[in-house]
Amino acid sequence: MTSLLEINQLSVKLQSKLILQQLDLNLSAGEILGLVGASGCGKTTLLNAIAGFAKPCAGSIQLDNRLISDSEQFIPAQDRHVGMIFQDYALFPHLSVKQNIAFGISDYSLSEQEARIDSLLALLKLSEHKDKYIHQLSGGQQQRVAIARALAPQPKLLLLDEPFSNIDARLRNELMLEIRQLLKQLNITAIFVTHNKDEVFTFADKMAVMAHGKILQLDSPTAICQQPNSWQVADFLQLGTWLSCELKKNELDTAFGLLTLTDTEYDLVKKKQQSVDGSSQKLVMLIKPQYLEINEDNPANACVEHISVTEQGYHYTLASLSPNDTAKDKVSFYSQQLLTIKEKIALKVNPHPILVYSQ
Amino acid sequence: MLKFALVGLLLVSSFLTSASEEVNVYSYRQPFLVKPLFDQFTEQTGIKVNVVFAKKGMAERLAREGKYSPADVLLTTDISRLVELRDKNLVQIVNSSVLQEAIPAQYHANDNTWFALTTRVRNIYSAKRLGKIDINYEDLADEKYRGRVCTRSGKHSYTVGLIASMISEHGEAYTLDWLKKVKQNLARKPQGNDRGQVQAIHQNLCDISLGNSYYFGKMLKDEKQKVWADAVYINFPNQNNRGAHVNISGVAMAKYAPNKANAKALMEFLVSEPAQALYAQTNMEYPVREGVPVSDLVASWGKFKADDLALEEIAKNRKAALILLDKAKFDL
Amino acid sequence: MIIPVLIMLVDGIDASTQLFGHLWQTVLPSYLKNTILLGVFVVLLSLFFGVSSAVLISQTNILFKQHLRWLLLLPLAMPAYLVAYLYTDLFDYAGPVQRTLREWFNWQSPNDYWFFDIRTLFGAAIMLSLVLYPYIYMLTRGAFEQQDQNLMRASRLLGLNVKQTLFRVALPLARPAIAVSASLVLMETLADFATVQYFSVNTLTTAIYDTWLGYGDMAAANALASVLMLLILFVIVLEQRGRAGLRHQSARPNMQKDLIQLSSIQQLLASIFCWALVILGFALPFALLIAMAIEYSNVEQLTRLLDTGVNSVKVSVIAATVAVIIALVLGLYQRLHGHKFRHVPQQISGFGYAIPGTVLAMAMLSTFGPFDHWLNDVAEFLAWQQPGLILSGTIFAMIFAFVVRFSAIANGTIASGIKQIPQSLDYAPATLGMGLTKTITRVHLPILKPAVFVAWLLVFVESMKELSAVLLLRPFNFETLSSQIYQLISDEMLEQGALGAILIVLFGLLPIILLNRKREH
Repeated sequence: MTSLLEINQLSVKLQSKLILQQLDLNLSAGEILGLVGASGCGKTTLLNAIAGFAKPCAGSIQLDNRLISDSEQFIPAQDRHVGMIFQDYALFPHLSVKQNIAFGISDYSLSEQEARIDSLLALLKLSEHKDKYIHQLSGGQQQRVAIARALAPQPKLLLLDEPFSNIDARLRNELMLEIRQLLKQLNITAIFVTHNKDEVFTFADKMAVMAHGKILQLDSPTAICQQPNSWQVADFLQLGTWLSCELKKNELDTAFGLLTLTDTEYDLVKKKQQSVDGSSQKLVMLIKPQYLEINEDNPANACVEHISVTEQGYHYTLASLSPNDTAKDKVSFYSQQLLTIKEKIALKVNPHPILVYSQ
Repeated sequence: MLKFALVGLLLVSSFLTSASEEVNVYSYRQPFLVKPLFDQFTEQTGIKVNVVFAKKGMAERLAREGKYSPADVLLTTDISRLVELRDKNLVQIVNSSVLQEAIPAQYHANDNTWFALTTRVRNIYSAKRLGKIDINYEDLADEKYRGRVCTRSGKHSYTVGLIASMISEHGEAYTLDWLKKVKQNLARKPQGNDRGQVQAIHQNLCDISLGNSYYFGKMLKDEKQKVWADAVYINFPNQNNRGAHVNISGVAMAKYAPNKANAKALMEFLVSEPAQALYAQTNMEYPVREGVPVSDLVASWGKFKADDLALEEIAKNRKAALILLDKAKFDL
Repeated sequence: MIIPVLIMLVDGIDASTQLFGHLWQTVLPSYLKNTILLGVFVVLLSLFFGVSSAVLISQTNILFKQHLRWLLLLPLAMPAYLVAYLYTDLFDYAGPVQRTLREWFNWQSPNDYWFFDIRTLFGAAIMLSLVLYPYIYMLTRGAFEQQDQNLMRASRLLGLNVKQTLFRVALPLARPAIAVSASLVLMETLADFATVQYFSVNTLTTAIYDTWLGYGDMAAANALASVLMLLILFVIVLEQRGRAGLRHQSARPNMQKDLIQLSSIQQLLASIFCWALVILGFALPFALLIAMAIEYSNVEQLTRLLDTGVNSVKVSVIAATVAVIIALVLGLYQRLHGHKFRHVPQQISGFGYAIPGTVLAMAMLSTFGPFDHWLNDVAEFLAWQQPGLILSGTIFAMIFAFVVRFSAIANGTIASGIKQIPQSLDYAPATLGMGLTKTITRVHLPILKPAVFVAWLLVFVESMKELSAVLLLRPFNFETLSSQIYQLISDEMLEQGALGAILIVLFGLLPIILLNRKREH
């Protein structure tokens, strides 16, 4: 597959603060990328840089083999053929549905305009609302109008800025599937920004996790969840809870006991421990609840801090109790057994393929 | 609640009205024109003079205030206003031998409801470049002055008075025709005041203008305006027939004057010799009291023949004059 | 507050049809035509001045933007009657401009050359527009700045450049604000009695004066004033309909945005245009006033100025305070009471602004005169000392007129302040055991302090400038700056009052400077 969007070493400064730092990103034609990251990580700025609203201070952006931004040239937004769906849709309140959709194709001939509008109205099931004004429409309908308007001029790339955040939770999933199907049907390349990682799995082909102006990991959502490449990625995606650990010979020492490592695992952990300057790094292990078990023979090493009820039984937040451990680890744990708050129990970690990161 | 408010209002008012000897004047005349006179009056009698000056709406205000009006003395700059006040029953008869003796019969009402204080002539000013001319009001409509006549608004009481006198002399039809022709002769839309017209003559915008007599004196005494006055002759119109149109400034006592005695005293003071002399000297008007000389400057303009049309006649034709002005679209 | 207006309308009903017929057959059609033409010209010109300067300031990279931004507001501080006088004086045949031209070219009479006549309908329209355009500038610029940035971005992404976006999105969206401000300008124009008189332009206003003072027919005058009121009411209705569309505003004001890049010649022309507005609407007349003041001032004037200045400040302070209190009561009542007609009092009180000062003064006399009589009759009956005309003959009537006329300003400012208080704050104090009175004094009033301040200041300044009501309602020995200046102007002796005029203008500058500083921080 050919690359539609190529971003190289992109840096953007806003009010003398570096928002994007030498960011690289490649996207193939027809792919939908979900961009996640904590707020303030630079997601919106990246969209703005691609759309032409933020001027980069370094790096380049190529769209469909055309250079749209580098240190010398900066193609204005209106000439980039990039479409965008805004979080609040940014529909023109002074125009009707039809006029909103026609807005970007006024240079088409009238018959072409009509045809294009009619097909979009039909595609998005808006035909009966075409003469209404925006404030007469529901949130979902408004979003459809926003999509129709963005698609009308046939953009090469569609940007979606938190498009589902204003949609009622019950309708959201349905709408996402519908729009995904539509984008796929039209073979549209899209980047969509969200702070809700769950949306990515439903909507996107690929996922990019951003932090501090950089993309930490870019891969399919499943690959990222199985092999998060850093502590930040795993933490942001809330793939499990964190347990501090120390390498002792070929074993890993945790508050809930020792874990034996395989040779490859040992090499990996050893490498993580070595920091750039040679000093040893603090290690944490990603622990998922299913690998934890109550071991009644051992002395108590954890204490119940929080209890809630879920479909999988009781969910507990447990704090580690080891005496020399100043930073208490908090882990998630599911059990059918009812414990009381502040109750002390003994936990053990079952052997499993371990994921260790330096913090 | 209302009761308290009432009591409060009455309390406040009780010390508002508890001032000492005073007299309240509603004046159509500019305060700085009459203030020296009032100052002298207060000095002589110890009676304080309160003035409210308004060019417009004084009669209406008086009428609305009715019997509780604080006004004692009413000063106007025009006979029509005085007659209007009397016709609306807003003034009272003042029987004063002092006033009777001081003012010639044609300058006060037969029923002693109003009294003139000074007289003023509606002069015609002409550019010196025209040479000495002999002119009648009727000549303002003459075609030879096409585009060379200047005047203030026709609706101003001084102009209305003159038109009223034209109606008395010639009737409405002639006057309307005359107004239309004068309008055709105007160099510009009626605007500004009497002095502005003389200035326009000085600037060669026009040759002929209407203006009251005392303005000529005032311009001559003003450093900046002297050049304007120097550009014109002051003419007393219609000297070979009925005489120049004369209007008055006058005084009346408000019907419900609360300080009647003081009001009478003020009125009598205004026709006293020193007050009349002051009018003549500082305002350059013609005093009504016989024997009080006009200022030397005014005297230098020569004696003139005044139209002896009864003043009440002018007031009577005032409304007709306004209607003719509208019909001729004089100010438009 | 509506009573005076109602009484005026009722008085107008039994107007003499004869006089009306006469007026209708002679001058009234031209007066009406002039009134409407003046309104149309002033609105068109103010729109041209106001909208284009707002566009240049907020949408382009014009030179001196930071300065022009607030300088363009300065003409608001100039009372229209002052500007009118100064300019007729300047451009008249006898004025310095034409005089100098005649000297240079050795022209002898008006037949030798052509010069525009300022004392025409169009001259009056230009002068009025020069001082009224800031209303449109201010509201339109505000609308641009409030517009949702994303709407502009959406338009850009749909292929429109910045300039096209301005015409197809920004301007249409600013339409309600433009309509509101244009109606303000129209109301000011129709209500202006003093200004058009200098230009010898006869409007409906002239007819009101003529019938009232010339023909002495108060009823017919009231009827004509009612016609004027209807015209203005019509404008208000239009305005309110315009405001109904003002729904779309954004929490994300359009601060950092792409500007239309002007070429250097365009930049130069644009700044010249804006500077010309500032100079013609403010700097030049102000400079003329200062020149007059320097030439003619003396000690006697200064002492007189002190007296009248104190009077002006006194009545304006009282009027501003009363208007603000009323606005607070009405605003909070509307907010805290749930019933259906709660906003009616506030809407009605807004009409006052549209009533010309003279008409209002007439209405005051019609209203308080009888009431005073009744009071005195009661006093007489109770054998108390008669109070005299304590309502219609004191500064009470004047202040009442100010309050009626300027309530709309105070109401608007405070209502928008109240709107910004979150609804939850109405209820939160109750959960903390605070009663309604305490809630208002401890929560709402402190939050509203800035709005109260602004409202007070605006009413204060308007009261300082107000003229017509002062002329008709002032009591004995009571002159304000505006009435004194007006008298001097009517004798063409403004020189003597230049200091007072400067004072009024300086007071008028206060809210502009303060509001501007508030906006910047």
